[in-house]
Amino acid sequence: MSTLTEAAVESAVRELTYAEAIREALAIAMEADERVFLFGEDVGVYGGAFGVSGDLVHRFGPDRVIDTPISELGIAGAAVGAAITGMRPVLEIQFSDFVTLAMEQIVNQAAKIRFMFGGKAKVPMVVRLPGGSGTGAAAQHSQSLEAWFAHVPGLKVIQPSTPHDAKGMLLAAIDDPNPVLIFEHKLLYKTKGHVPEGDYRVPIGKAAVRREGRDLTIVGSSIMAVRAVAAAEKLAQEGIDAEVIDLRSLRPIDFDTIAASVRKTHRLLVVYEGVKTMGIGAEISAMIAESDVFDFLDAPIIRLGGAEVPLPYNPVLEKAAVPQEENILEAARRLARGEA
Amino acid sequence: MKADTDTTAQRPNQRPELAAIDDETMRGVLRKMHLIRKFEEAAEASYMRGLIHGTMHLSIGQEASAVGSTLPLKAEDYILSTHRGHGHCIAKGADPARMFAEFFGKENGYCKGRGGSMHIADVEGGNLGANGIVGGGLPIAVGVGMSIKAQKLDRVAVVFFGDGASNEGAFHEALNMASIWKLPILFVCENNKYGMSMDVSRAMAVPNVADRAVAYAMPGIIVDGNDLPAVAAVAREAAERARSGGGPTLIECKTYRLRGHSKSDRNLYRTKEEIEEWRNRCPIRRLEAELVAHGRFTPEELMTIEEAAQAEIDAALEFAKASPDPDPKDLTRDVYAD
Amino acid sequence: MPVEVILPKVDMDMETGSIEAWKVSEGDFVKQGDILFEIGTNKAVMEVEAPASGIIRNLVPASGEPIAVGTPVAWIFLEGEDASDTPPPPAAETAAAPQAQQPPASPSGEAAASTAPASNGHPARALDSGVRATPLARRTARLHGIAIAEVTGSGPRGRITEEDVLAHLAKRPAEPAPVAARAPAEAPTEGELVPFGPVRRIIASRLSESMRVAPHFYMMAQIDMGALQALLKRVGPRIEKAVGVRPSLTVLLARVVAGILPRHPMLNASVEGDAARLHPTVNIGIAMERDGDLVVPVLRGAEGKNLAELTREFGRLREAVANRTIQPADMRGGTFTISNLGMYGVDSFTAIINQPESAILAVGRTVDTPVGRDGQIVLRPMATFSLSSDHRIVDGVTAARFMADLREAIECPEVLI
Repeated sequence: MSTLTEAAVESAVRELTYAEAIREALAIAMEADERVFLFGEDVGVYGGAFGVSGDLVHRFGPDRVIDTPISELGIAGAAVGAAITGMRPVLEIQFSDFVTLAMEQIVNQAAKIRFMFGGKAKVPMVVRLPGGSGTGAAAQHSQSLEAWFAHVPGLKVIQPSTPHDAKGMLLAAIDDPNPVLIFEHKLLYKTKGHVPEGDYRVPIGKAAVRREGRDLTIVGSSIMAVRAVAAAEKLAQEGIDAEVIDLRSLRPIDFDTIAASVRKTHRLLVVYEGVKTMGIGAEISAMIAESDVFDFLDAPIIRLGGAEVPLPYNPVLEKAAVPQEENILEAARRLARGEA
Repeated sequence: MKADTDTTAQRPNQRPELAAIDDETMRGVLRKMHLIRKFEEAAEASYMRGLIHGTMHLSIGQEASAVGSTLPLKAEDYILSTHRGHGHCIAKGADPARMFAEFFGKENGYCKGRGGSMHIADVEGGNLGANGIVGGGLPIAVGVGMSIKAQKLDRVAVVFFGDGASNEGAFHEALNMASIWKLPILFVCENNKYGMSMDVSRAMAVPNVADRAVAYAMPGIIVDGNDLPAVAAVAREAAERARSGGGPTLIECKTYRLRGHSKSDRNLYRTKEEIEEWRNRCPIRRLEAELVAHGRFTPEELMTIEEAAQAEIDAALEFAKASPDPDPKDLTRDVYAD
Repeated sequence: MPVEVILPKVDMDMETGSIEAWKVSEGDFVKQGDILFEIGTNKAVMEVEAPASGIIRNLVPASGEPIAVGTPVAWIFLEGEDASDTPPPPAAETAAAPQAQQPPASPSGEAAASTAPASNGHPARALDSGVRATPLARRTARLHGIAIAEVTGSGPRGRITEEDVLAHLAKRPAEPAPVAARAPAEAPTEGELVPFGPVRRIIASRLSESMRVAPHFYMMAQIDMGALQALLKRVGPRIEKAVGVRPSLTVLLARVVAGILPRHPMLNASVEGDAARLHPTVNIGIAMERDGDLVVPVLRGAEGKNLAELTREFGRLREAVANRTIQPADMRGGTFTISNLGMYGVDSFTAIINQPESAILAVGRTVDTPVGRDGQIVLRPMATFSLSSDHRIVDGVTAARFMADLREAIECPEVLI
């Protein structure tokens, strides 16, 4: 009954890393449903390039945790074929950058089959894509390409930021009768957080308000939501009360939550790791500008996105190419002052 | 009325491939080959009268590879087809009326008018779809094979593709995976000599697509794609191997498309003489001549089959024309499954 | 081009001036150097000369009200210029003070039309189009019937923000301008006029807005405070020893309310468009007075804090209010407000909801009152609680359930532990 007791319980919760949370979701799904299988490059005994699949091959055997040749187009197509004939494939693309090799199957086939066939097929597949910068992996192993896919009707694109959401959203994705791409930020894999036991779902297409505030709204997903929350705590000490929205899902996008927040705060900062131009920020800004929320803007919208450059190797340059906490702080201060 | 009791023993002069197809089956084969030919001729005529928009890729001249490759298939087996896929579709048992309805963009077409000629699918009938992307179906077939294996089903998948697709990376990735995992797949290459305009001899360093099977340690078989009994025999053997866990087979049907690549093709890359030469190798007439020569069917019986096919196509066309158009309010339906 | 006659800056630190009297009339021919009008500043009355020769038009009437420096107040049309085909640019680019807003009220329809560009025939928009203002400022101005050009912008490059419009609104006389203009003599002019300070301006605007948008309804309950008083007596000294501040009845009530609010989500919610935003935490605002103004500091995350923690936090806030060191952040994010006027001897009262919250609890004094208990009349320390709720999202039964829980928790605080 008492909220004090609840607080006590809350403090005794177990914590998992983001990678462990994903592994737990995979195990739960494979345990519950024979049709679910994981495949990809080095997901077997190696345990996945980022250790996400770990020991799953020993628990479920090599027929359900399948090492594949280095054939991104081929395995993406295999996921499509398995999905339309009754399986629930979960495909790991080792680095999200390699999805460029699989574009054909994801964009031309997975996304369109149901529609092209007049609704007579379902493509319940999940593609897991470790992405993002910050590991010194340079230009071909550090990109954030999620916006490309968010442009494609027929796909769903999600970007959980916490271990809790990573597990809940992956389980929701596996259950979803549509192709779902889950972009996992490599820097988040080792972050820890509360993860409930057992099976639970975090719905796709619903943003989370991570921090309530009255002065301005910061929208971000994945690691940018994490950085935005950290920045917001510092802003609070400066008297700037920022609301932080963790988008979680890019397609479908939860515009209602963004709209309600901007209607309240009148100021919007969109933070995303993908290259700024033609990115998520452009879409959200345009949605605001096109809607009745436009009338509630009391300052120009600020977009904080990746620099117009391939990701550099040098660590100083690499950081400079992608929004960091300090950049969010600085942008939020500008926004609070109403500067464009 | 003698055909029903025919057997190989009674017709010792027949080659075994022909004798392996009994008369009842052969009637079905002939009906389908005629349906494909007449379907495409009617589609072409409708297109030229402006009744069908977009484009279409005709497989006139390639009927034997479509019907022969699918002859050993059961209803629950799968096919994956190509942009030149009307033949595969009919061969797998599709209803020409609903195919025409799709061509006309009608709500009761196979894809409710959303796919058109290049995307006809009949998932319940085991047809997992034609594909507008060259080589698009090949990796999908691998997944279908994985699915069959994981669900321990007694099924095979036939994936059609052209000589052009065998130069796509997808072809090589798919054959490799199918082979390492011993998947029940028949890779049927319809080598019709041209990838759009490019002669296969200019596009490939090896003379035959089937030669590429060596790289993937699977049987690579070349067959005269205009010889229905030959194609059927090769497909039957490959299907049996697939069902018994022996893995995939690459079959190369050497054939020829008598029409251009699409409706805008002016045939600048080939000679009239070459087209004429292949016209003389028409797979339907060849099969009919052989059947008459061996006394299995009379010309009158064959004429009856052909006329019945024509009547079926005429009725199908009328059905399509009378079918309802989609409602624009349903524009975004079926983008996502619920 | 006609020559602009502006209200000139004639004194250091002069921001506004007023036209006391025109020395010329609409349509007069004036010579450069002629006296046009008298300008009043807070120090003296000065004469303003004509900057050019020609026909003078579009005179801003001499009202004696302040006009921002630099605002055009008339136009001189040179020989051969036609008032209709060379319209003067609108007076919008300058940061105008409140009363400089009216387009030159010319009796000539021709001249009036000339202030609007012919291209869209939409005078209101044309007047605003050159103004740098945020969409929200424009919307707020529209809702209150203010021309955006009237408002002085404080943002970057003079951009007008919502705050500027609200400040402008607070400065504006309460009565509609035309009425005031027609009958200035009827308005009461005696007594001291106390201008609003910035805080009062916000209070006035917020509370008016609350009464306007939120249909209030009220619910009262008399509650026995005996158990709560006993609890306060018991734990008060111990808490004071621990955190240095003695817990007050108000903070104890905040604890009680925070304990039950999670069960009443609609009372811990805000209206957003056509939806109710249910807040995940309970942030209790406590109404306080400072220098005659109302301030409402917020106890954040109150549902997860014990009485000692709340007491310490409340002590800090009260001190910050008294020392005027309270930060805006301390007054933001409230989800429910308590206003306790019991210490002033008030028996009961109703309060206006602190937007965007959905309810406010008003607490009267605790007084020994005869009540029936088990068939006997006994004296019990009773207090009257009034809940004001926003009927858009809170229904009578919802509020009543809250009141029932409140009574139970106050009369038997153990239920919270």
